[in-house]
Amino acid sequence: MSLDLVAAGTVAAMMAAATLRAAAPIIFASLGGLISELAGCINVALEGVMLVAAFAGVITSAYSALWFPDAPLWLHPWLGCAAGLLAGTALAGLLAVFHLELGADLIVAGIGLNILAQGLTVLLMAHLTGDKGSTASLTSFALPSLRWAGLGDVPVLGVLLNGDGDAGHNVLVYGAMAATGWVAWALRHTVLGLRLRAAGENAEAALAAGLPVKRLRYAGLLLSGLLASGGGVFLGMGYLTLFQADMAAGRGYLALAAVFLGGRRPLGTVAAALVFGGATVMAARLGLLAVPSEVVFMIPPLVTIAALVLVKQHQRLAARRRAAAGRAALISP
Amino acid sequence: MMPSREGARIALAVAAALALGFAVMACVSDQPWAAFRALLTGPLPSIDHTADGRVVVHRLVRFGAWLQDATTLTLVGLAIAIPFRARQFSLGADGQLFMGALAAAAVSLALGDVPAALPLAFLAAAAAAATWGLLPGLLKTRFEANEIVTTLMLNVVAVQIYRLVVGRVLNDPTAGFITTPPLPDAATLAPLIARTTVTAMVLVAPVAVAAALFLLRRTTLGYEIDLAGANPWFAARAGVPVARATMVAFALGGAFAGLAGFHVSNALLKRLPVDLTPGIGLEGIVVALLARGRVGALPLAALGYAYLRVGAQAMERATDVPREVVLVIQALIILFVVSDRLAPLALGLLRRVRASMGRRTA
Repeated sequence: MSLDLVAAGTVAAMMAAATLRAAAPIIFASLGGLISELAGCINVALEGVMLVAAFAGVITSAYSALWFPDAPLWLHPWLGCAAGLLAGTALAGLLAVFHLELGADLIVAGIGLNILAQGLTVLLMAHLTGDKGSTASLTSFALPSLRWAGLGDVPVLGVLLNGDGDAGHNVLVYGAMAATGWVAWALRHTVLGLRLRAAGENAEAALAAGLPVKRLRYAGLLLSGLLASGGGVFLGMGYLTLFQADMAAGRGYLALAAVFLGGRRPLGTVAAALVFGGATVMAARLGLLAVPSEVVFMIPPLVTIAALVLVKQHQRLAARRRAAAGRAALISP
Repeated sequence: MMPSREGARIALAVAAALALGFAVMACVSDQPWAAFRALLTGPLPSIDHTADGRVVVHRLVRFGAWLQDATTLTLVGLAIAIPFRARQFSLGADGQLFMGALAAAAVSLALGDVPAALPLAFLAAAAAAATWGLLPGLLKTRFEANEIVTTLMLNVVAVQIYRLVVGRVLNDPTAGFITTPPLPDAATLAPLIARTTVTAMVLVAPVAVAAALFLLRRTTLGYEIDLAGANPWFAARAGVPVARATMVAFALGGAFAGLAGFHVSNALLKRLPVDLTPGIGLEGIVVALLARGRVGALPLAALGYAYLRVGAQAMERATDVPREVVLVIQALIILFVVSDRLAPLALGLLRRVRASMGRRTA
């Protein structure tokens, strides 16, 4: 009986660890999407930011090994990570310039930058490696994994904290958790967080109060680029250890959905990102059974749509209940 | 059709994007000039004189590919532009196209070689895609679900439904690869130009645009769609059924994407492979943007953009530049076209430079 429990617990821990791994890039991107959305600028370019960050990270880590053959091995992935974060943030900066300086529609410009990222990464990859599909011919590096020592034999906890193969979770999985905490805290408790939200909530009032709305929106978009880049770098240097064409595979748009799904709140957003990560893991599990893969691939998008509808229904019911309570309070005295 | 200033602005944006695209090509290619020439002249047929004075036209295939691509792009452009009249950002043309193609092929195969197969397949494509297009409209008006997200998600679902049906229901086991059987002759369109895939659909596209224009400009429904887009709050106050108008705009856009699907299945391929490439629906965004949302300008924008796409294919075959360079040019066109303050800024800079140079010479 207890053996069954341990087995069930191990499976659950495996699923949880896999979910975390699959959700980490979406968590990063959705936190970025949340920050810019709260600052009043919906960032549709999350997808492109992730692509560019993953590409720059992988390529830089590979070339770092060629350029600095004498450098210690641990340096290459971190150089790649820095380059990825920089490149992704720069793309978000480009979006900010096009929107805030040149008057481009935010959504259309975001889509444009996604296409730009898609084209440029494939073009440069073909130029550098001669392959339009992936950078498999290059030796790129993964960021290190953190492994809790001494948990190898602990039944459920070991799998949960050190992953399926006991190799530990990638440092960026912990990064995603840290980013969640930081964003949740900073939006509530820092001056910048308050001002960002003010600029998004009511730009005119914020302007009248003397806030530099435009600069705040720059900050929002750049921060969202930085966070989404973290997700991109994880894709190329943790989730996999190479770059593939169209590697973000819609995660940027999923992240955007997570923001709305989470009611534009940090923890809600991350919860939604975890649901999407879980849907991917579920899909992979079902794929092992006799379910046709086409049906499996439909699960994440259908979950997204269903969740959007359910959350809206819930919010509407809550609002109606509040209104009714308000009316009752008015009538009763 | 289009005010000339706006036209000039777009021409400028396209030229700037091409120039930057060339710069990118020069960075990644050993033969940028040859590549650029192939890109810009690829779709044109070449006309030669033989030694005995006969005129021979070469490369008609690419010319046909251009017209054929412009047909598809016009229809998917409509699928983006019409919901946009109601200020809805539908990115769902891709899924609608797949649904339309699937319905057209299924009806054609079910009916077999009868004369009614062609019109019925045509209608089935429009109806299936309109229904699929209605979904995000329903989700938006009933549940306030963001249409960008829902249309993108529904695209994924539609492509998977397509693969499921083609792979497991309509599959032709004798084909050697996963595909439907060839569609019956009565259901397919014959080419108008020999050795090309240009069919009567090339005429259907402008008719579709005219029909859409008539609907938007001359009917109550079109007026309601415009009002719902311009100011939904005001429109609702004035008694316009905003939700209905929005949903109709979505469904109508879907119907046109469905015709694009019919074009793919019953005119171009004449059988549907399981790995039909998604993405053409998103190209409709570029077309709608180039037309600045003006329905009447869609065919022109589609012709221009299709020219670039076919040129890119010619370039990829002839040189070492991958066709993805067109994605870069496309992205730059989008960015430059929507940047309203870019042209004044550039002109102002130019004027300032000229003024400072004038001062220096004076």
